This record gives sequence, C-alpha cells and structure tokens, in this order.
Amino acid sequence: MFLTKRSLLAAALSAAAILPAHAQQITLDVLYCFPSFARFHEPVAAEFMKKNPNIKINFRAPSPTYDDGHQVILRSALTRQLPDIFYSGFHLLPEMVRTLDARGQITVLDGMLAAEGAEFAKTNYPQSLMSLAVFNKKTYGIAFNASNPIVYFNADLVKKAGGDPNNFPKTFDGIIKLAAKINDPANGINGMAYDVHGWPDSWLFEAAIGQAGGRLLNAEGTDIAFDGPAGLNAMKTFRRFVTEGGMQLIDWDQSRQQFGAGKIGIIFSTPAHLTQVTGLVGNKFDLKTSTFPMDDPKNGYIPTGGNAVVMLTQDAAKQKAAWEFIKFVTGPEAQKIVVEMTGYLPTNARASGADFLGPFYEKNPNYKTPILQIDRAGPWGAYPGGNTVRIWRAQRDIVGQVMRGEKTPEQGLADIVKTTRDMMKGA
Amino acid sequence: MTTLALAPAVGRVPRRSRPVREWLAGTLFVVPATMLLLAIILAPLLCLLILSLTDYEIGAMQIRWLGLGNFEKALSDPVFRRAMGNTLLYVALVLPGGVILGLLVALLVHGRTRSRAFYEVAYFLPVTATLIAMAAVWQFLLHPKLGPVNGLLKAAGFPEMAFISEPSLLIPTLAVIGLWNLIGFNMILFLAGLTAIPRDLYDAAEIDGAGGPIDRFLTVTWPQLAPTTMFVAVTTSITAFKVFDTVAVLTRGRDGSEVLLYAIYLEGFQYFKIGYSAALTVIFLAFMLAFSVFQAFQLDRRVHY
Repeated sequence: MFLTKRSLLAAALSAAAILPAHAQQITLDVLYCFPSFARFHEPVAAEFMKKNPNIKINFRAPSPTYDDGHQVILRSALTRQLPDIFYSGFHLLPEMVRTLDARGQITVLDGMLAAEGAEFAKTNYPQSLMSLAVFNKKTYGIAFNASNPIVYFNADLVKKAGGDPNNFPKTFDGIIKLAAKINDPANGINGMAYDVHGWPDSWLFEAAIGQAGGRLLNAEGTDIAFDGPAGLNAMKTFRRFVTEGGMQLIDWDQSRQQFGAGKIGIIFSTPAHLTQVTGLVGNKFDLKTSTFPMDDPKNGYIPTGGNAVVMLTQDAAKQKAAWEFIKFVTGPEAQKIVVEMTGYLPTNARASGADFLGPFYEKNPNYKTPILQIDRAGPWGAYPGGNTVRIWRAQRDIVGQVMRGEKTPEQGLADIVKTTRDMMKGA
Repeated sequence: MTTLALAPAVGRVPRRSRPVREWLAGTLFVVPATMLLLAIILAPLLCLLILSLTDYEIGAMQIRWLGLGNFEKALSDPVFRRAMGNTLLYVALVLPGGVILGLLVALLVHGRTRSRAFYEVAYFLPVTATLIAMAAVWQFLLHPKLGPVNGLLKAAGFPEMAFISEPSLLIPTLAVIGLWNLIGFNMILFLAGLTAIPRDLYDAAEIDGAGGPIDRFLTVTWPQLAPTTMFVAVTTSITAFKVFDTVAVLTRGRDGSEVLLYAIYLEGFQYFKIGYSAALTVIFLAFMLAFSVFQAFQLDRRVHY
C-alpha cells in the first residue's frame, strides 16, 4: 500500500530491463463466440501459456453468438482494432473473408502450413474439415470446433416399438417407419422430430438434401442445384415426418424438452448438445445416438457446423506467435479438452487415437457417433449474394407450410426455388 | 455577441437594458440542456436519417446514396408488410384488452379493504418480472405435450393447442402474454384515478337515484376516469407497438410472426443492412411520434374540461 509513483516507475523500468533477456513477451488478443465456451477456451489457453511462457493469451469479452461476433469483427475492421485471433462460425466465414481480404486484414495460412513440412497438414487435419476454410484455393483458417447432425434416440421406446437400438436404421425411410411404430398419441408420445421448420439456420435443410446425394449449389457456386429430384425428395420426406412419423410441429427447444421427458422417440440435433441432453435425460431412459441417415452412402454428405480459428494480425512477430497458438488449439491435446467437455467432433485426426480420446470414447460410446461420419463431412453452403441468413428464413417458412400440408411438396419446392433465386440476386 | 465586440471601442461598458440581460441569462441557462439534447437525441437522429437514405452495410468499403429507395423498398417488402400487419393486430388485441381488463381489475381491487394490498402486489408482479426470463416459463407452460395449460385444456375436453407453433395462433398468444405483463401496470394507474374521485359525487349520485353499482359506474366512475383512461390507452398502445422480447425469445419471427422491431433487428443485426434498417427505424419513429403527439393534444384538452 506504500507504492509511490516513483517506486512503480522503478519497478516498471526494471521489468523492462529484464524482459529483453528473455525472448520478447508477446500478447495475443483472442475473440471467441458464446461465453459458455469459456469452459474449454480458458483451460486450453492456460495449457498453451504453460508450454509457451513468452506468449500471453488475452481473451476479449466473448460475443454472445456467431452473428454478434461477426458484427464485432466487421466493426473493429473499420476502427483497426481487430483481435489477433478470431473463431468464426463456418457459415459466416466466406462473408468475413471476403470483407477482410479486400481490406488486407486477414492472414493466409498456406505459407505457415507449408513451412511445417509436407506431412504436417496430412497427419493432423482431415481433408474434409480443412476444405471448409479454403476460398479461392487459399487457406484462411483451420477448423477448431466441428459438428455434423446426429440422431438422438430413446432406446427404451425403440425397443418397445420392436426396433433394435444396436442396429438403428440408416435411411430416412427406415427411420420414418420406426417412428411410426413409436408414435403413440394416446400416451402423449410423438414418434420423431426433425425440426427443420424452426431451425435457426439451414443446417438440417441442407443435411436432408446432401444425404441423398443432392447438392445445395452447383459446382461453380453460382446457382442452386436442388431444384430437381433432390429438392423434391427432401420436401416429400419432410412431409412424411409429419404424416407418417408422428412429428408435431413445435419449436426445436420444445422438442428437446419433450425428448428429455421421454415423450419423443427420435430427434435430430447437433452433437454439441450431447452433454446437455445427457444431463436432461438423466436416468429416465436409455439415451443413444446414431449417425445421420444416408440415403445415398456413395455421394451423400452432411454439412459441417462449428467454427474455424483465423489469424487477423498483420504484425510479423505476432503472426509467428499466433501460428503457434493456432497449431496448439487445433492439436490433439487441446482437442481432447474440447471434445470431452462438449461432444464436438475432434478437428485433429490424431485426437481420437488411443493416446488422447480413445479411452473416453470407450467409456462414452454416444460421443463417438460424429467421428463415424467424419468422412461425409461437407461444407455448409452459403449462397452467393451475401443473403444466406435472409434466404434461410424465407425457405424455412415455406418448409413449415409443406410440413403442415398447406402446400404440396411440388408447390413448396417451386416457391423455395423462386424465392431463393430472387434473393440470391441481392434483392 | 455584437455588444461584447463593440464594448472596448466605446471605452466603457454600456448598461444593457433589462430585457437583453434577461435574454442573455435565459440563453445561458438553456445552453447545457440544448447541448445535451443535441448530443444525445438530435445528432443521432440526424445520423439515422442520413443512414436511412444510403445502402450502408457494416464493414462495407463504399456507401451509396439511395435517396428514398429504402422507403420504396420497405413498402413492397413482404416481410416488412407482414411485420406491420402483425404489429397492428397485436396492438388491436392488447389495447382494448389492456384497458378493459386493467380497469376491471382495478375496480375489483379497489373494492377490497383488507386484501387490497395482496391483490395489488399479485397483479403487479408480472410488471416487475423480466419478460425474457418469463418468456422461457411461458414456453414451458404452453408446451403442447408437457405444459400445464394444455393439460387443463385436455382435461376439459378441448383438443391440444400448439400455441407458439401454429402460425395463426402466434400473434394472439403473444398478445395474451403481453396483456399478462401489462394489466398490473394499468391497474395501478386506474387505482390512482379511482382514489382521486371525490366521495361526495357518489353521495350526490345516490340522492339523484343512481344507487346501483352499474349506475354509479356509468354516471360517476367512468366519466371521472376519462383522463386516466386516455392516458392508459396511449401508454398501452406505445408499449404494444414496441413489442419485441417475447417475439425474440418465443417465435424468433418464425412462420411469419415478425413484428416491426423484430424486422428492424433482423435487418440491422442479422443481415447487417444498416441503411435499410435505419429506414425502417424512421418509419417506426414516425408511428411513435404520431402516438405521442396525439397523446399530448388529447391530454391537454382533457385536463381543462
């Protein structure tokens, strides 16, 4: 308490004198989204700083959602107060890269990847995930959290309906037939819920098209590619969920509550909710997960959600430190921490091995499901024209009309196609 | 200003006349408030007006002047038109409901003697509750399978209702939640109005033969409450116009349930179209202004009747 200005100054001076003896101390500003993710970001950063004492990780106040984080980045790009490192949602990444690249405020990582040796990228990063942050053949980020939709089911209800929990159907047709048997309105039980009509983003919509071998966009990414059998098949399937599978159109978080209460047989959701749903279910029933159905196992894919870590700093010394940090957070030790806490898919190929997550998966087989479908992980499409969020909101309402039977699948698809094309032009 | 500059040339400070001095003092007193008004309200409003005439997007490198383009677009924008219709429907449900139910509750509570404090607190509680947190509770209450509301409906022989899923029920359900939140506040306003009615008016009415409760209400209470009712009606419509939180939590604008503020939020904070969002805000402000002006004039007239 007797510190004077002078003694503080002296302390500061002596500290400054000591520092150059060490390697230069570097502080990296890092921004991530979802404050609840502090539970793994903080321990990962602590582990990193232990191993790299000359680099300090300074987290900025996390943004509440990917969209908010995206806005913060765009705003700070104007005021030149960007963090050094940012975790961007995959679905917003193309737009962010487009904006920041034009301003020279984002770093391309290919040079640093190449400097690690030819084998490095191959042994650590699965190709399907790597490609999610590549635009114009340049790598702008590396997947950090990744998830693709999985099936959650109530094994007790499945057994009661005569199904085999260890041999869960692998096609939508099989799932709908099973759900029809589970459906029991007299006891307040719904067969299934595929909450595409209220999902906040196009994830489940694209998954339904992709799993059957359809594509959201053509190869050049200039126009939609689901205005044919692929789209119609998806629309008909959506309607069948309701007419045959006993699905009721409620909101997705209401579905999750009802599933947790043991009153829905099958739901589709992100593995990132696995820990949460497991807690919600408790001992009420036997909760199991299964891979997302694949009507076309050869050409099918499912869109990948999550975020990629990107480097925004343009300072050479900081870039070096930031690269070390990026390598660490996408490395197997860090991924082990993240996966065990959330249920996300590990984005490092070595992480699921026996040295890291192997024993965990042995004990918690439900968490392993996302890995079983990693080779089907595809990009999560964004429409040209920068209207992706708006387009999905319009599509979603039409999907709801088809599911409620207010429009035929054919009429619904025609409306979706027209609306999407109009909005892609930037209208 | 001119006087000050001339003063040294004349060599002696001339005595200013009293009106000038008063004018100067008055101006000086007004300056701080004016500066604040400028900085906090007028300047941002000007920025909003300017932005509403452009196509500004967050992060964009250039900005284009659109003139009234954004406003033209709003008129033909199906989402905005829907939002406008929904908001008007919401106001149409909440305004009469909030006034009539608020008055009814106030009359009932006013008649209590010992339990009055209890009812006042009970009805006022929803006003103090955070609507966002309460919306999560409503979501559970209205759950078609798990919620107690549907449990009651089914026990009474009614079919199951998906209150926050069925598109045609969305706005009415939100209006009911809005009413639940609002009635307590309106009740307090009406109670204040009721307390201010002189007792001897009732005595006079009784002597004149208006003894029944309905007669008393129609001849004394209702006319005496007219200024309060006008005030309640205007504040209720303004509150109803600003509906946002229940939509943001319960429906997220799903199935065509956008309201004005939610449409503005979507454009500005989800699609990043700041220019267009500003234009919608200007339209919204125009509505609010109309209400406020109406209120000011009406209240002015009523006070001196």
